[in-house]
Amino acid sequence: MTVDPNAATQGVPSPEPAAGGGGAARYLVPALVAAAVAVALGAYGKVHAPAGTAFNLAGFSSTGAVKSWLATAAFALALVQVVSALMVYGRLPGPGRAPALHRWSGRLAFLVAVPVAVHCLYALGYRSSEPRALWHSLLGCVFFGAFSAKMLLLRSERLPGPLLPLVGGLVFAVLTVVWLTSALWFFRTFGVTV
Amino acid sequence: MKRSGPLLTLLAGLLLALCMLTLNATTGTRAAPYAQGDAAAPAPASSGPPAGEPPGPSPSKTSAGTSSASPSPDVPPDADYAGRTDDGSSAVAVSLREGRAVAYFCDGRDREAWLKGEAGEDGGLALTGERGAELTGTLTGRHVRGDVRVGGRTYAFTADRAVEPSGLYRATATVRGAEYDGGWIVLPDGRQVGVLGRDGERSAAPRIDPEAGAVTVDGRRLAVRPVTP
Repeated sequence: MTVDPNAATQGVPSPEPAAGGGGAARYLVPALVAAAVAVALGAYGKVHAPAGTAFNLAGFSSTGAVKSWLATAAFALALVQVVSALMVYGRLPGPGRAPALHRWSGRLAFLVAVPVAVHCLYALGYRSSEPRALWHSLLGCVFFGAFSAKMLLLRSERLPGPLLPLVGGLVFAVLTVVWLTSALWFFRTFGVTV
Repeated sequence: MKRSGPLLTLLAGLLLALCMLTLNATTGTRAAPYAQGDAAAPAPASSGPPAGEPPGPSPSKTSAGTSSASPSPDVPPDADYAGRTDDGSSAVAVSLREGRAVAYFCDGRDREAWLKGEAGEDGGLALTGERGAELTGTLTGRHVRGDVRVGGRTYAFTADRAVEPSGLYRATATVRGAEYDGGWIVLPDGRQVGVLGRDGERSAAPRIDPEAGAVTVDGRRLAVRPVTP
């Protein structure tokens, strides 16, 4: 009944760079990795019997509160992502350090989001019993897939102009819905608690 | 030369996820907040109404399971479930600990029942309560599906896995000679269904604050505790 929690993650293929960087592989590999990551996460959430709970952080009243604040931090960093991306592309006036800002705020947002996802998948699992849970579960998996694709695309040079902004925008949009259906819902339901 | 930054970012995330999974798996559910149930469990029985009082539910029944029913390794995992009856009129919550189960049914107005019993290795539940209340159900990993019979009516229900702050709560207190006994089911969507008995007179219960573990009744703040078998 209980699945080794480490087993499913082994199903996530370690992101291999496109060998040789040949034409179609530049797009195919990120797309396949994205699909594999999303499906693997969803399958793990569905197959693994939810543990109900996981360890909490000191100082917070509940894991729900911890996750909501971490998710909110990730969302705030995602807003920084949008603004700094506009700077990188020259749509907004920005400092010369805009690319570094974009890179590091993105990294931080991702690393902040990972524990939230681990808790979701480990303690709650993939749920489709109500629309909010369904959309959150679905898009939560899609987010990490899309993010993986975005990271892998960055390794290719001379991509078609609008591709990176499009994928980045998709990652941001998905994260927004994931946040709306979790942290915002939590704060509205249980109050803005620490 | 290809940029390795994005790859390192992904690998760092993967590593972090694996670390947390390992921590979770090795810590286990024992360290979970609900594992403090040792302290919370006797609470419902502490100030229940006298056994001779007909309308009051008997919380003392929940403490009867202190016999050394040694938990077999095959019993269903400790968990809480909460959901509604199929007709939408009422809510049902089930709490499992080491093979023992306690369940609560209430319609949010004046009908309620506390039930208790054992959970079988096959995930089967057969619980009984006062005045012929019965609950039969089957446990699968994420929900309990079954029927509960209360007051001559049978309700089919489905209860999903509930994680704090949703779940089953109870408050019992004696204030100026009046016996209060309230039961609440906090559904996974955050809604609450509760019934409060004042000297056995039941009515809709005010909302509780599950995070703070408190409810304000008639201007007084009462402690609310998660219910475990």
